[in-house]
Amino acid sequence: MAGRFFPAALMARRNLTRTKMRSLLASLGIVIGVVAIASLGMFGVALQYSFTQNLGNVGNQLTVYPNSGENITELTERDIRTIRREASPTATVSPVKTRTEPVSYNREDAVREQIYGVEDPAALYEAKEGRVSPFRSGALVGSNVAEEHDLHPGSQITVNGTSVRIRAVLEEGDPFSSTNPDNRIIMPATSFSQRGYSEVYVIESTGTRANETAMGIRDALNDREERVFVQELGSLVDTIEEQFQIINTVLAGIASISLLVAGISILNVMLMSTVERREEIGVLRAVGYQKRDVLKVMLMEATLLGFLGGIAGVILSVGAGLAINHYAVGDAMAVFRLPNAWYVGAAFTFGVLTAIVSGLYPAWKAASEEPVDALRG
Amino acid sequence: MTVIDAQGLVKRYRTGGQTLYALAGIDFALEAGEFVSIMGPSGSGKTTLLNILGLLDTPTEGTVLLEGQDVTGLGDSKRTALRKRTIGFVFQHFYLLPTLTAVENVEVPLLLDSDPKVTKRARRLLERLGLGDRLDHKPDELSGGQKQRVAIARSLINSPKVVLADEPTGNLDSETGRQILDEFRRIADEDDVAIVAVTHDDLVNEYVDRTVHLVDGTIGRERKNGR
Repeated sequence: MAGRFFPAALMARRNLTRTKMRSLLASLGIVIGVVAIASLGMFGVALQYSFTQNLGNVGNQLTVYPNSGENITELTERDIRTIRREASPTATVSPVKTRTEPVSYNREDAVREQIYGVEDPAALYEAKEGRVSPFRSGALVGSNVAEEHDLHPGSQITVNGTSVRIRAVLEEGDPFSSTNPDNRIIMPATSFSQRGYSEVYVIESTGTRANETAMGIRDALNDREERVFVQELGSLVDTIEEQFQIINTVLAGIASISLLVAGISILNVMLMSTVERREEIGVLRAVGYQKRDVLKVMLMEATLLGFLGGIAGVILSVGAGLAINHYAVGDAMAVFRLPNAWYVGAAFTFGVLTAIVSGLYPAWKAASEEPVDALRG
Repeated sequence: MTVIDAQGLVKRYRTGGQTLYALAGIDFALEAGEFVSIMGPSGSGKTTLLNILGLLDTPTEGTVLLEGQDVTGLGDSKRTALRKRTIGFVFQHFYLLPTLTAVENVEVPLLLDSDPKVTKRARRLLERLGLGDRLDHKPDELSGGQKQRVAIARSLINSPKVVLADEPTGNLDSETGRQILDEFRRIADEDDVAIVAVTHDDLVNEYVDRTVHLVDGTIGRERKNGR
């Protein structure tokens, strides 16, 4: 059966070369459609990828807050012990105290700032300048704070009237992480007078474990009343990725409108072609071509137009994908990832299918013409 | 042997309130190897008769026997298959496919069969018709007579029993027309193929075995050629 298609392909190919410009323009529509679908798809993938890259490894983090809705303003030592018990042995559990104090930099007027009290900052942060541990006195500042007020290890700031020495400037953190220190001033937890904690960071080795721990903490602490609120960044990431998926689908949908236009242009070209070749098709029918044979030749033409446009479209799309990934992800080779292959493949398939579907009506019209009528001229 | 035997052919068209008779009761029989011309003024039903004999059209009344088989009531697909097997067509305007070479044009009726022997046979037919040096030329590189010879070769590719020609010399000068008619004569004699040519051209009558005159859808005088 496959072999029977080749003579039809020969005739179809020759017919297309008869009106080269017209065939080229018709398949140009398919090219544009395929490129539009594929590159918008790849653009979405690149966005998603760069977003995930920015998120970094926050999927394995969770943060436990006291549930202020139930009038619980802080977490107790007992809560912390429960959290430590629920977390896996390898997890980092960092309880954090907060208070608001007037802070002044470089003898300027004091502004009220949130001060974070962390027992073991070395477990969470690394120093860009200076040393994080040992940490018994002084303060650590995030990179934004340091930059804004020109702070370095050894600089002095005034917290609530007391002079405090900067021990270290911290390395930038993940922008989406709740442990992000960039805008924070961190002081030893021992310097805090209050006993309760305002949040607890738990960092697990994997996202799955983080999820299990989150469920364990909820079960243990929210048994009788909703004591705590557990924020999992992993599930947040999932939600955002789902949103990206929706955006991608919508983008591809918009792009497929261009394929619709391409289909109409192929329909038009094929209809013109059947009108022009009415007598030729009549002769084919006269010399013994069945209706389905004519149908086959005509559909072959549409298919070839689709393939031509599709292949050119794929080549251009990969080029566009290289550019998109170069600028959006910073790695042009990222175009050779599976989701991109999926979009390019789907765009190609839709392109060819559009061409075939558009060819159906003209082919049917050509095939069902009575040879007697066609040959009457 | 009788290749085609048509009895009582009537073809009616209804246009508006009127009934037009393209054919009004025609008997026509064709023997193998016979070369027959059908003449008559425009509108006398020549082309309609040719179409019915060529299984392109069906009569309103009457029967057509092709090699003894009644083909009158056959559907489109069966008639198409029979055309492919037993009938060849030659047209006034040649109707070659401009995108195909001479050999490919001759192969067209059997092109979809993917039979490797067809190409060889197409070449032989073209060589026999004196186009051995034009095998791979496209139609626009051929003269009118050469095109018609390619068309004749095409009509013979399926080893037909009957070749039906509609004004085969209508677009040719008389010298070329004679060459084409010579080919027809030779094909009828050598291959035992029956040939029917619808024509206005009196030249044709020098080559045929008999001429059928159609007047208003009926057969007028019939002249046996004394050849």
